[in-house]
Amino acid sequence: MILSVSSSLALVSGLMVVRAKNPVHSVLFFILVFCDTSGLLLLLGLDFFAMIFLVVYIGAIAVLFLFVVMMFNIQIAEIHEEVLRYLPVSGIIGLIFWWEMFFILDNETIPLLPTHRKTTSLRYTVYAGKVRSWTNLETLGNLLYTYYFVWFLVSSLILLVAMIGAIVQTMHSTTKVQRQDVFRRNAIDFRRTIMRRTTDQISDSHALD
Amino acid sequence: CIYLVISLLVSLILLGVPFLFASNSSTYPEKLSAYECGFDPFGDARSRFDIRFYLVSILFIIFDLEVTFFFPWAVSLNKIDLFGFWSMMAFLLILTIGFLYEWKR
Repeated sequence: MILSVSSSLALVSGLMVVRAKNPVHSVLFFILVFCDTSGLLLLLGLDFFAMIFLVVYIGAIAVLFLFVVMMFNIQIAEIHEEVLRYLPVSGIIGLIFWWEMFFILDNETIPLLPTHRKTTSLRYTVYAGKVRSWTNLETLGNLLYTYYFVWFLVSSLILLVAMIGAIVQTMHSTTKVQRQDVFRRNAIDFRRTIMRRTTDQISDSHALD
Repeated sequence: CIYLVISLLVSLILLGVPFLFASNSSTYPEKLSAYECGFDPFGDARSRFDIRFYLVSILFIIFDLEVTFFFPWAVSLNKIDLFGFWSMMAFLLILTIGFLYEWKR
């Protein structure tokens, strides 16, 4: 029941992200999509990832989108009359998407049509889980830092690149700010900072700059 | 399940009760628009946005992901004996380099 609620809400919110007129409503539906995806992950038994979705996706990425909506004066969309203009290309892309979906929706594992309602699916018990059941965090921690540590360090490099890239991009504009170098400022000989030229104009030139 | 129902109920009550007490007649578009000494509003009230706020948000994501990597490590530290500890220290070193760069700028 929760599956149907979560997934249907996710689909509807995803649709509303695109269709909402007010951009703030768009971002709010975006947040709702992540909430529902987090619920779906909970149903799959990935509790750690569900919480990480909430923290990282909603808490950081949706906030980033909110910043964009805040910063730029996005008018409430008036172009809703011309939506049919995009139909051919977007229709083709949508059809390709659906076609690829049918590769995954094999009727054995993920039922699409309710034909096999009577037969019960095979259930198997993982007895190792009954002896000592490991949480998601424990299993991840056991493997990520020992057997797959290379990928872990690669991910740290990716985060480093992201950090430095972001700083370089935005600090571009603030490097033009003139800063005083105190030692240089103290070393200037005050007698020679203003020089009078032979013409009538008095120009003010700093000798050492 | 009871917890879910109660939390949902409480938040919905907190959201809905003000609508009972708000007066419908005293809000009309003239009253809700921006105030500019009695004139009609000239334009948008937004000022120029400094990009450093966005940078703070991006850096928050980066360090938040770093913390996300810390969580499973902290839980399973007794199983990954010394090698796991030092691999996390290498990760931390790489991120500290980034942090130092950010500090200097």
